Amino acid sequence: MSERARLIVAVLTTGVVLGTLPLLGLPAFYESFLYLVFHWIALATSWSLLSGYAGYFSFGHGAFFGAGVYTTTTLAAAYGVPFLATLPVAAAVAALMSVGIGAVVFRVKRLRGELFGLLTLAITFVVATIVLNTRLDGGPGVYLSNVPLPKLVGSPTGTFYLLALGLASATVTGAYLITRARLGLGLFAIHDDEDVAEVEGVPTFAYKLVAFALSAGVAGIAGGIHAMYVSYVTVGDTFSITVPLYVVLMSVLGGARHWLGPAVGATLITLSLYTFTGGEQALLGRALIAFILILVILLLPAGVVPTVLARWRAWRPRRVEIPAATVMPLAAVAGRGSGPSAALECRDLWKSFGGIQALRGVSLTVAPGEIVGLVGPNGSGKTTLINVISGHYALDRGRITLGTTVLSEGPAHRIAGLGVSRTYQIPRPFAHFTALDNVALAASFGAARCTPGAARVEARRWLEFTGLGRRATALPHELNLHERKFLELARALAGRPRVILLDEVLSGLNPTESGGAVQLLRGIRDLGVAIVFVEHVMRAVVELCDRVVVLNEGEVIAAGTPVEAMREPRVIDVYLGKAHVGA
Amino acid sequence: MLEVRHLAIAYGDAPAVWDATLDVGESEVVAVIGPNGAGKSTLVNTIAGLQRARSGVLRFAGVDLRTVPAHLVCRHGIGLVPEGRRLFTRLSVEENLEIGCYRAEARSRRSATLERVYGLFPILRERRRQLAGSLSGGQQQMVAIGRALMARPRLLLLDEPSLGLAPAVVDAMFEIIRAIHAEGVAILLVEQNVVRALDIANRAYVLEEGRIVAEGPSEILRRESRIQEAYLGVREQRES
Repeated sequence: MSERARLIVAVLTTGVVLGTLPLLGLPAFYESFLYLVFHWIALATSWSLLSGYAGYFSFGHGAFFGAGVYTTTTLAAAYGVPFLATLPVAAAVAALMSVGIGAVVFRVKRLRGELFGLLTLAITFVVATIVLNTRLDGGPGVYLSNVPLPKLVGSPTGTFYLLALGLASATVTGAYLITRARLGLGLFAIHDDEDVAEVEGVPTFAYKLVAFALSAGVAGIAGGIHAMYVSYVTVGDTFSITVPLYVVLMSVLGGARHWLGPAVGATLITLSLYTFTGGEQALLGRALIAFILILVILLLPAGVVPTVLARWRAWRPRRVEIPAATVMPLAAVAGRGSGPSAALECRDLWKSFGGIQALRGVSLTVAPGEIVGLVGPNGSGKTTLINVISGHYALDRGRITLGTTVLSEGPAHRIAGLGVSRTYQIPRPFAHFTALDNVALAASFGAARCTPGAARVEARRWLEFTGLGRRATALPHELNLHERKFLELARALAGRPRVILLDEVLSGLNPTESGGAVQLLRGIRDLGVAIVFVEHVMRAVVELCDRVVVLNEGEVIAAGTPVEAMREPRVIDVYLGKAHVGA
Repeated sequence: MLEVRHLAIAYGDAPAVWDATLDVGESEVVAVIGPNGAGKSTLVNTIAGLQRARSGVLRFAGVDLRTVPAHLVCRHGIGLVPEGRRLFTRLSVEENLEIGCYRAEARSRRSATLERVYGLFPILRERRRQLAGSLSGGQQQMVAIGRALMARPRLLLLDEPSLGLAPAVVDAMFEIIRAIHAEGVAILLVEQNVVRALDIANRAYVLEEGRIVAEGPSEILRRESRIQEAYLGVREQRES
């Protein structure tokens, strides 16, 4: 059985075993207590879908929870809708609310990070105010004691227990499946570097919306169940800081980036909160819990689950998942190039930033299997050109085509999906991904579109190809600059590009090292890939490029074979400098 | 002036530098060359106090640097220009430079030092209000060097100053290094552009896999066939 199947079976078995507990006639106190544990597991796990995985820290989980509470309350108490039938509606209302907010907020780059957190907190207050001042509540609170509770098992507490257990197991299973699927990989990448994720082919906007909707939907159901559980709902209790604060604490404690982390954190915190319940003991107990939390956050910043797993793995090393291949000869990768090759054509590209005109009518064509060098002084527009081709910046004017497809109108992830890869001058690997996973992400989302499993095999190949095979499990901060540059290259190749844009992959290598890299790039060209090669190492440019285009102040000032272009007086004047005459 | 003896540095359990011994004298230019991953940047960062040495001696003008915290190393007269520039991209050029004289003793001479830096890099005076992140690579490198100079160091640590710069700008950059040296500042230079590094340095050390494997006057190292093969590219001597 695969690891995935085993884990799903384990979660489901746990669910079924726990599900038989009410039949054994457990005292109601325990059922209520366990209800709360599952309630918090569902809420914390759902919060982490967007906020833990994608890093969009939300303080607004209370808004979606509250939307669920009042949907169920209104439908059941005022309109007589059966309780269970209100739950899907509660999920839908909360999810729709999140999609509405996300559709606006996720388009604005400035609203990443702390601003997103503040905004979601504000939304909670807005929703609370609306509920308080309309007939949804109106002020005094709403009683649900007359709403009939369906009898799943003997006692009402048993019923709540089962409902919360079902929701918690479904949410945790869902979280597990998401972390193993393309969606989870994409969300983790968004967490580390959203712009790069988009350029690697992750549809960041859609993924964030999906994660937000799922997260809010689960919170909505949890709210619906909880409304019935407390049977008297008030705005003050529903929209208090408790829900948003506790889900954050629980997730951070357990490990917000792990599918099981929030569940473990929720269990630990709920257990400790309800262990001390009476008088002075409660006060002391809470102080103790707060102190333990501070210690845990200081000592285990990644959360309990990831830390324990890391210790366990270090203590009992597992077999390497993917057999280490030997250094792969070029012939072995030939043929695993990319779809039908096509020429990249840029026509009359214009781009300005504020008052600075970065590109002034640049035109450029690169044929399949051709290496075109792009040189020019620092600030002449080379990197800007790469940024507009890859879709990182929108063009002011002009047109970019790949074969017959127009690139210049689509979002960056679509351009990547069509087979355009790039590297970054200053490497931008995903910081929490191993070298292997960095490359695997590109293989899952670029033109290659592998399944996550196949992507890791593919990633291994490209790591071997670029000589990083033995660094596969290293995190980017453990790599030196040279290795990070080649990681960029492996990542660009794993998307199976038809066009590859290389932004100074050789800088920082000494002449002997860059000689080896030149061989590597020739091999890539021979796969039929069109290459745009931005580089200042003139010897490599001359050796490698079929043609050279020289930019200065956003304009093409010379083009031709490397030797021709380098002899142009204007090129010597603005770029090479007098020292290179006759060199 | 700078005295490094049998220095060992490790990241966790992974040793990066085993045994580094080197000296930089008053107003000397010394180059450290070696392949990527040999530990050059680690060595420079350790001298600047960003990393701790595991064992060995690290002294500057008689002071044991191993006990000096990173933010105070600059007070002893050491300036670092880190690899990849590491500017505060959302601050203006002048704000970046001012951070270089954050300490009180440097702040008092702020305007004079700023004049000196603008004298070396006239383009930075023109762009002083511009955000550092919006500058070209060469100009950013100038800001990084300028920022280090603001503390009036007696020893400047330069980690790959020519990285990613256009050939003409590389020329200019080495001219600037010469000019800084002419003002009496000693320089420890880590550089992949080995030809240029040996041109400018009085002496050089070769660091391989965390050890110093060769040292000597640049003139002599340059002629050693092993150095030529490993670092200068086998085919050509002239490199840009």
